[in-house]
Amino acid sequence: MAEIKRFNAYHRWLHVAMAVSFIGLVASGMPLKYANAPWAAWLMRFLGGYYAAGLIHRICAVITFGYFAAHIGYVIYDIAIVRKFRFNILGPESMVPWLKDLEDIYHSFRWFFGMGPRPQFDRFTYWEKFDYWAVFWGVGMIGVSGLFLWFPEFFGRFMPGWAFNIATVIHSDEALLAAGFIFTIHYFNTHLRPEKFPMDPVIFSGRLTLHELQHDRPLEYRRLVDENRLEQYLTGPQQTWITDAGILFGFAIVLIGFFLLILIVMGQFIY
Amino acid sequence: MKDLTLVFLLSCFLFASPAAAKDSCYDCHGQKGMKPYVDKSAFEQSAHGHLACTKCHFDVSGYPHGKVSKVNCGACHFIGTEGAPKEQAQQYKLSVHNRVTAVGNATLPTCQTCHGSHYIYPSADTRSSTNRQKIPTLCSQCHPREFEVYKNSIHGKQLLEDNNPAAPTCFQCHMEHLTPPTASNAWQLALIKQCGDCHSEELKTYRKTYHGKVTKLGYVTVAKCSDCHGAHDILMLNDPDSTLSRKNILKTCQKCHPAATPGFTKFYAHAEEKDRAKYPVLYYTFLFMTVLLLGTFAFFFTHTFLWAYRSLKERMNKKGGE
Repeated sequence: MAEIKRFNAYHRWLHVAMAVSFIGLVASGMPLKYANAPWAAWLMRFLGGYYAAGLIHRICAVITFGYFAAHIGYVIYDIAIVRKFRFNILGPESMVPWLKDLEDIYHSFRWFFGMGPRPQFDRFTYWEKFDYWAVFWGVGMIGVSGLFLWFPEFFGRFMPGWAFNIATVIHSDEALLAAGFIFTIHYFNTHLRPEKFPMDPVIFSGRLTLHELQHDRPLEYRRLVDENRLEQYLTGPQQTWITDAGILFGFAIVLIGFFLLILIVMGQFIY
Repeated sequence: MKDLTLVFLLSCFLFASPAAAKDSCYDCHGQKGMKPYVDKSAFEQSAHGHLACTKCHFDVSGYPHGKVSKVNCGACHFIGTEGAPKEQAQQYKLSVHNRVTAVGNATLPTCQTCHGSHYIYPSADTRSSTNRQKIPTLCSQCHPREFEVYKNSIHGKQLLEDNNPAAPTCFQCHMEHLTPPTASNAWQLALIKQCGDCHSEELKTYRKTYHGKVTKLGYVTVAKCSDCHGAHDILMLNDPDSTLSRKNILKTCQKCHPAATPGFTKFYAHAEEKDRAKYPVLYYTFLFMTVLLLGTFAFFFTHTFLWAYRSLKERMNKKGGE
């Protein structure tokens, strides 16, 4: 059966880098945030102690800055070279949220309450756009505050020392927001919701079935047909081992994420 | 020969009962100038006043007695079966003061070095050699340099000059009987809690910082209380000689952060994000983050639960229809 290409290898590898480094950051950071919780010292020892956990945290931070820069580079390359600046920044192929997204949110809530049909989506839904921009916000806030805390002596030359107190609060709370969001809402919206349960492999295989495109993203399907571009996206099925490895990887990440979520909830509400 | 028999018979009579035996000890040792001289009334008011001399001097069984060996307190306080408190001796066995752990250093203190021998009183008693007012001087016999520094510190002045009953003596930090090696990680971490026993607000706010969290997890490489505030030399923050005074703070931070600048020292090592008056920027940052988190989670959890409900319902309806 014909499949539709949604993500290229570059996108998929960046997502893997993101998932791995995110898990590494949460696992090595949360023991500090929840140092009072009884699991904290245990997890720290499991990671190889305070020094090793710090090293893991910094390596994963470098990976994060790396994929972030790689993505910015890709966007510039895609818009400037591939599309030769013929790109509608508010159009359906853009990640930029616009009026249609507000309408979709409104109609989604109506659908939740049984007051209307489900809105029809194009290439990117509003919750996908939110996930996307949340990473910009998160990497920005956590990244900058993290750099302050990584190089306090350097930044202390330009800023008063209490900037590190501010950075600590931002780094810690923003990390809670990111971890809490990814391990619940992102997991549900993309993988665990009844339509996709237990996992949507598209981010690993890069492929949608034609049925999925027609059903989940009807506006994109119609647009591609109207513009005679569907052909460009048609492809044979992904090699099984790639999809299988991706699903295996995805399950591992989801399970580790749930485990860390339990620790975070314990740390936040019990200790 | 006849004389010796007489002495033997006499001593059997004398030592037949402990009370009688004690009285007979005073026949000699109650005389001033005798070595050792024992002040009967002072001894009898002491913690051991109810015991017979031979309870401790068990190598004495009559008169005349030969050389009397040094009393082993552990006979009662370590292995004895009677009501004598034991944990102190058990702790001492682990301490750096114990000659066995310190490989036979004969200058190290035994029980008697601190407690004396015949006049041992509860430490609350001002006659006790371990009464809190006397502790610094007691320790100074072996640690004179530490005493010189301590006596000018805020803790030393509070204790020795102002008789403040809450001021720490050497014991509060060094744990009288346990006296762990000062290089031991366990002791350095325990010390933070010791400081927090009196300075509980400061401990609470310290625990919110990176320093406090790393030590909480059992690692000592970051700043602990004494790294910034000093130990024996601790002074009030407003004292110009304090390690944290305006002229000294940079040097103190630079112990761990060699490239620290004057700006760097404006770090709040005991910040409280809920204190708006004292830390307004921190307060509003925390407030903003809290609102952001609650807002985002509230919206998306509602969204997710409603979505799950609707999706499941639609799927069930579809199955029912088929």
